[in-house]
Amino acid sequence: MATTACFIIVSRNDIPIYEAEVGSTVKREDAAHLHQFILHAAQDIVQDLAWTTSAMFLKAIDRFNDLVVSVYVTAGHILLSE
Amino acid sequence: MLRDYELALSNYRLISTDYKLDKAWKRYAAVQEMMGAAYFMLNHSWKESEHCMENAFNTYLKNVPAGHQNATRCGLWWVEMLKTRDQFKEAAGVYFLIAGEESLHSAVMLEQASYCYLYSKPPMLRKYGFHLVLSGNQYKKSDQIKHAIRTYRRAVSVFKGTTWSYIKDHVHFHIGQWYAFLGLYDAAVIHMLEVLMCSHQSKTTQELFFKNFLNFFQKTGKACELLKLPLPIIDASSLKVVFEDHRTYASSAAVSVTESLWRSFEEEVIPSLSTARTNWLEVQSKFTSRRPKESNICVVGEIIEVGVEFKNPLQISIPLTGISLICELSERSDDGQTDANITGGMLNDQDSKLAADRLLNSSASVVLSDVDCVLEGGSTTMVKLIVTPREEGILKIVGVKWKISGSVSGCYNFVANPMKKKTTTRTRKHMHSFSDNLKFAVIKSLPKLEGLIHSIPERVYAGELRYLTLELSNKSEVAVKNLKMKISHPRFLNFGSAEHFDINYPACLQKITGSKRSGPMPMQREGSDSVFLFPNDNVIRKGSSLSWPLWFHAAVPGSVSLYIVLYYEIEDIECSMKYRTLRMFHNMEVLPAIDVSFQLSPQPSTPQKFLVRMDVTNQTSSEDFQMDQLSSLGNQWEISMIDPLFHPPLLMSGQAFSCFFMLKRHEKSGDSEEISSLHSPIGGDVKLSTKDDDDSLFDVSLSPLSDFHNCERLYQEKQSEGGSHTVDFILISHQVHNKNNPGVSHSPCFLSNHACHCSILGSSPISWVIDGPHEIFHDFSASFCEVSLKMTLYNSSKTVASIRINTMDSSHLGDSGSVFSNQEGWYNVPLENAIKVTSDVRGTILKSLLWESAHPTIWSASSSTKLQLGPGSMAEIPLQVCVFCPGTYDLSNYAVQWNLQPLGAQQNPESRPSSGTCPGYPYYLTVISSS
Repeated sequence: MATTACFIIVSRNDIPIYEAEVGSTVKREDAAHLHQFILHAAQDIVQDLAWTTSAMFLKAIDRFNDLVVSVYVTAGHILLSE
Repeated sequence: MLRDYELALSNYRLISTDYKLDKAWKRYAAVQEMMGAAYFMLNHSWKESEHCMENAFNTYLKNVPAGHQNATRCGLWWVEMLKTRDQFKEAAGVYFLIAGEESLHSAVMLEQASYCYLYSKPPMLRKYGFHLVLSGNQYKKSDQIKHAIRTYRRAVSVFKGTTWSYIKDHVHFHIGQWYAFLGLYDAAVIHMLEVLMCSHQSKTTQELFFKNFLNFFQKTGKACELLKLPLPIIDASSLKVVFEDHRTYASSAAVSVTESLWRSFEEEVIPSLSTARTNWLEVQSKFTSRRPKESNICVVGEIIEVGVEFKNPLQISIPLTGISLICELSERSDDGQTDANITGGMLNDQDSKLAADRLLNSSASVVLSDVDCVLEGGSTTMVKLIVTPREEGILKIVGVKWKISGSVSGCYNFVANPMKKKTTTRTRKHMHSFSDNLKFAVIKSLPKLEGLIHSIPERVYAGELRYLTLELSNKSEVAVKNLKMKISHPRFLNFGSAEHFDINYPACLQKITGSKRSGPMPMQREGSDSVFLFPNDNVIRKGSSLSWPLWFHAAVPGSVSLYIVLYYEIEDIECSMKYRTLRMFHNMEVLPAIDVSFQLSPQPSTPQKFLVRMDVTNQTSSEDFQMDQLSSLGNQWEISMIDPLFHPPLLMSGQAFSCFFMLKRHEKSGDSEEISSLHSPIGGDVKLSTKDDDDSLFDVSLSPLSDFHNCERLYQEKQSEGGSHTVDFILISHQVHNKNNPGVSHSPCFLSNHACHCSILGSSPISWVIDGPHEIFHDFSASFCEVSLKMTLYNSSKTVASIRINTMDSSHLGDSGSVFSNQEGWYNVPLENAIKVTSDVRGTILKSLLWESAHPTIWSASSSTKLQLGPGSMAEIPLQVCVFCPGTYDLSNYAVQWNLQPLGAQQNPESRPSSGTCPGYPYYLTVISSS
C-alpha cells in the first residue's frame, strides 16, 4: 500500500479510545489530523446507518477524495473505523 | 417559460438523444440540464431529474472544456432542487462535487456544503465541522484569512469538549496562527493556550507550539499579565508547608519525622496544659473559654518553607524563572471576609491591577524568595519557596506565581474556592480546610535556639566512645531559661557534666593517680532516666551560646535514630508563647567491630576463684584494634592475668583471640573507706596493652562509663538469680589507625564493650575439692600404701542438696567387656587360688595378682557416702585409697550425684537443673617406692 491506513476505535460517546497507523510508510504528522477529521466526520453517517441495518460490518460508508472509510460496529456501539 | 413543462420535456428528450449521438456535449449537457429543471418543476419523478442533472454535470466537467462555470451553475441548480426537497445530505455531496480543487471556489462550496450538513435532519455536525475546516483551509490558500478564521471559529464549537486531540490542536493552532498573521495577538494567544498542553504530539510539534505561543505572547507586549497558565502542572496535593511555632527544628531531617512521634516523645518534657481541676464547675468553664484553634502560629523573622511540585508534561524543557509565593499579610483586626474577597479577585483580570498593588504594598512586610529552574521534559521537580514575615498580623499563603522563559507570567491559586465557614455558636467543629492550613497568625519576635551537636558521626564502630559537644546559641534579643533536654536513647547518647569541659578526652575517663578517686559521679536525674535538667544558673542570654558535653557510645551494631528534644522557656513575660522546643534528629549507622564473650568456670581448688575465658573477635574487615583494659564490676571481684607478663597482641581485622584470667572474690569488709555502697563497687582492672605510661588506666566507676554500663545492664538483663551470682566485665580497646589511610583523622578512638550478667555458677551447684598429698614415699616391701584424702564439698545453691558420692573401682570409661577377665575392686579370692600362691616374695605375688587382674589402687573407705548439705555450706568427707605399687595414679574414678530439694513456688525449674551427676576430676597421686 502506498499510503498508510489509519485505524481508530471510538467509544459510544464519541471519545477516541485507540488510534493506530497501519502501513509500511512512515507516519506523517500532517496526515494524522486529516485522518482524524475524516473518520470523525464519517461517524455522522455511521450513526444513522447503524440503526437501519442489522449487519455489523458496514463496508465503505463514506469517501473523501481517494480515501475510503469502512466501519465495524459492535453491539455496544463501539466503532472501529478505518 | 410558458409553464408547459411536459411539452418542453418531451422536446428536450428528443433533442438530447440527438446531441448525444452527435457528441455535441455542451448542448447535450445543457439539454440535460433543462430536462432536469423541467422534471423538477413537474414535481414528480425527482429521481429522473436528479439523474439528468447529474448527467449534465458530469458531462460539463468531463467533456466540455472550460465548462466549470457551466458545471457550477448546473450543480447549483441541482443543489437547489435537492434543498427544496430537504435532501441536504445529497446537496452537501453535490456541493462537494462542485468544489473540486480550485481554491476560493472550492472554499465557498465547501462552506455551503457544511451548512447543508447542518441543516440536514439529523444535523450532521461532524460533517459540518469537517467541511468548515476544509473550507477554511481553502480560504487560507487563497489568502482570505478572515474568512478562514471565520470558518474555523465556527468549527471550534463542534470540536469543543471532544477528545479528538489532533483535530482540536489543528484547529486552534491554525486560528492562532492566522490571528497572529493579522496582528491580533491577543486572540492568538488565547488560542495558543489551548494547544499548549499537547503532550500527545511529537516533540517537534510541541516545540513548534511552544515557540509560537511565546512569540505571540511577546508580541502582545504585555509583560506582567498573570494568566492561568496550564503549564507547568502544579500538584496541589503535593504542597508541603514547614513552619515553626513552639516546635522548632534543628535540621531538615528532624522535620521529616512524623509529628505524632515527636509529640509522644515530648510528653514528659512539656508541662501539661491542664491544671488540677477541683470540681466540675471549673471543667465547664475551661471548655467554654477555650477558643478554637483558628490558624497556625508563626513568628516574625522566622521562615515558612513551602514545597510545591511542578510537573512538565511535555517532552521539551521549559525554563521557569521567578517562582515565588503569593502571600497576603493583613492586620489581625481585619474581618476575614474582606480578605476572602480579595483572594477571589486575584485571578480576575479586572482586579489584577488591584491585586498587584496589594502585593506591592505588602512587599515590605513579607520577604519572599525567588527560585529559577529548568523543568526537563517529563520531569517533576519539588520547588522550595520561602516566605518570611516581618510584621505581626495574619499571613495567608495564597498561591504561587512563575514566569516561563522570562516573559509569560502564570499563577496558581492554592484555594480554588474560598468558602466562608459558617460556625454556629453551639458546636464549633474544628474543620481545618485547606485554606486554614495556609493561614498563619504572626506573633512578635521570639527567641529561637539553634542547636548543633559538633562532630556527630554518621558511621561508627560498635562500642566506640565519643565525646561530643552540644552547642545552643541564642541569636535573638530575649533570654531563655529553664532548659530541659530529653534523649531518646540513653543507651547511646548521654549527658556529660560540667566538669568534663576542663579535661581533655580521653584523660577525663582515666584514673587520677593517687588513692583518692574524685570526679563526676553519675548524673542525677529527674523523673525518668532520660530527661535532663540543665543547672538552674544556665540562662542563655541574647547573642550568647551554651555548650554542654555529651557522651556517645555505640552500644549495638545496626541503624540508630536519635531523637533529642530541648525544652526552653522564654524569659519575657508578655509574649503569648511560654516555651519552645527544639527538635533534633540524627541517624547513624553502627558497624560491628569487636565481639567479646566471657565464660566463667569455678576453679575446683578454691570455691572463690574462677577462671575467666575471654573470646574477642574483630568483626571488621579493615580496622585493627588494640585491647587496653579489662575491668570487672560487681560485688568485690578482682581480676588478674594468669601470666602477668603476657600481653594480648594487636587484633587485626577478622581475627579472633582468646585469653584467660583469674577472678577472685573478696569477702566483704565493711570498714574500708573507699567502698561506698551507693556508687561504685570495687572492681578490678587488668591492663592489657603494652603502653609504657602505666598510669593511664580507665576508671570505670566514673561517669560516663558507669552510666553507659548501667544502661547496658538494663538491656542485657537475662533471668539472673541475683547480684551475687553475676559479674560484669568491661573491655576497653582502641582503634589502631592504618598508615595506609591518610585521610582518616587520628584522634584517639576508644571502644568499650560491656558484658553484663555473666554467670559465675557452673553447671552444677555443688563443687568440691579433694585435698591430700600428691607425692608419697612408701616402702612397698612392708605393706601396701594407704592414703587418706579429704573431699570438701560446697553447696552454692539456695536449697538443701542431698549428695551421694560413689567411688568406683572400675575404670570410668566403662569397659564392660573385660569384667570377667580383669576383675577390679574388692572381690572374693577363692581359697584354691590363694593356696597356689607361693610365698617367695609377697610383693611379687601381689604384683602378679595385681597386674594380671586388679587395679593398682582401690578405694578403701566407704564406697558410697550420702549426706545432706545445706545452702551455701561446706562439708568434709574422708576418703581413703590403697595403693599397691609405685606409680602415678589418676584418682578420678568417682562420681558425685546431687539432688536439689525444691524450694517451693519460688524456684524456677527451668533455670537450674535440680539434679545431676558429675564425674570426678583428675587428681594425681604419685607413689614412689622408698625401699
